[in-house]
Amino acid sequence: MNNGDRWDDDVRGAYQLPIEGEEQARDRAIGRLRRESAKRRGLGAWWLDPDGLRMYPALAAACVLAVLVIGAWGGAAWMASRGVRAPRPTIATIPSGSTAVTFVFRAPGATRVSLVGDFNGWDPNATPLARATTGEIWTAQVPLEHGLHAYAFVIDGQDWEPDPAAPLAPVATFGRRNSLLVVGEDQAL
Amino acid sequence: MRRLVALALASLLLAPGRASADESEEARLRARLKPELATPVIEVVRAAAAESLPTAPLVARALEGASRQAGDAAILEAVRRYAAGLAAARRALGPTARPAELDAGAGALMAGVPEDSLASLKRARPAGSLVIPLVVLSDFVARGVPVADASNAVLAATRAGAPDPALLRMRERTHERILRGEAPSGASREGLRELLMKTPGTPKERGSREPRAKGGP
Repeated sequence: MNNGDRWDDDVRGAYQLPIEGEEQARDRAIGRLRRESAKRRGLGAWWLDPDGLRMYPALAAACVLAVLVIGAWGGAAWMASRGVRAPRPTIATIPSGSTAVTFVFRAPGATRVSLVGDFNGWDPNATPLARATTGEIWTAQVPLEHGLHAYAFVIDGQDWEPDPAAPLAPVATFGRRNSLLVVGEDQAL
Repeated sequence: MRRLVALALASLLLAPGRASADESEEARLRARLKPELATPVIEVVRAAAAESLPTAPLVARALEGASRQAGDAAILEAVRRYAAGLAAARRALGPTARPAELDAGAGALMAGVPEDSLASLKRARPAGSLVIPLVVLSDFVARGVPVADASNAVLAATRAGAPDPALLRMRERTHERILRGEAPSGASREGLRELLMKTPGTPKERGSREPRAKGGP
């Protein structure tokens, strides 16, 4: 046996010697793992465990969307309960080829204002306007089919007035001109 | 053969809808007008429908007259005049004109705008809708702009390729000038001049110097 072989035997023998305290160390490690596992099962530990929840990405997206929708709905309900109204557009496209048009008319001193036109058979009782909080402004929102509409406002059931902001009809067929409204072209007038 | 079958099926499906719409209009007229007035008005409406003219404006005129408590003779005359206006508008605008264009064109013709002016507008904008140009033209006439000046202003703007929003702005500017006391004719000329200045590709001076030079009906 030469010197090299002897050195190899010494090293191999050193590795095979029992380590002092090995049994106790193993027991301590197992005990620590058990204690940590017990801690994880405690209240709230699940929320901190990165492996505690597994979910499909699509399901996660659906959950986020549901939370947003419920939040928006709840917010709107809360605003409505406090008397706060979301702003309404003057003209908004709605399905089936019609458009919701808000008519606004200023009538100081009027007690009743209504809207008459091709769209309601020129019936003064069909579309009453609501008085705004300012007192002189009256408004009504009406869904209108696309096309050309003639209309007027009736004040206190007697006086027929055209809309001062709208184009006038060229002919006063029955004494007073009507206003004209185009819905569904590039824009409503 | 398939096309023929499809056409036949389509006509079968559409015919009841058209009939029910007509019956609905007649029912509304009978509900609101006295029987001695409803009958001749319905005759006018049926005649218009037979010529494929829009009937809704005629019904609307009759109902408007009833709500305004106009006399029977005035209501019937108004409906007849409007039916004649619709027919004239279709002559001027062509058989492809849409109901809203015929409605607007009838009003313009009844205000004294010549059929030639409507035909010129159609040539100036052969593919696009003429509802807004006709409404602007009618508004000019209603506010006192002479018919010739109103026709020239709208025709020149349309020939220049002005889009509908620009025409509507021209109407608003002209209206504001008239409210400030300017003569309607001059106000419409200024409105046209402003529009042409803002419309790309048009001579800047044409609107103010001689708007009729190339815009005449």
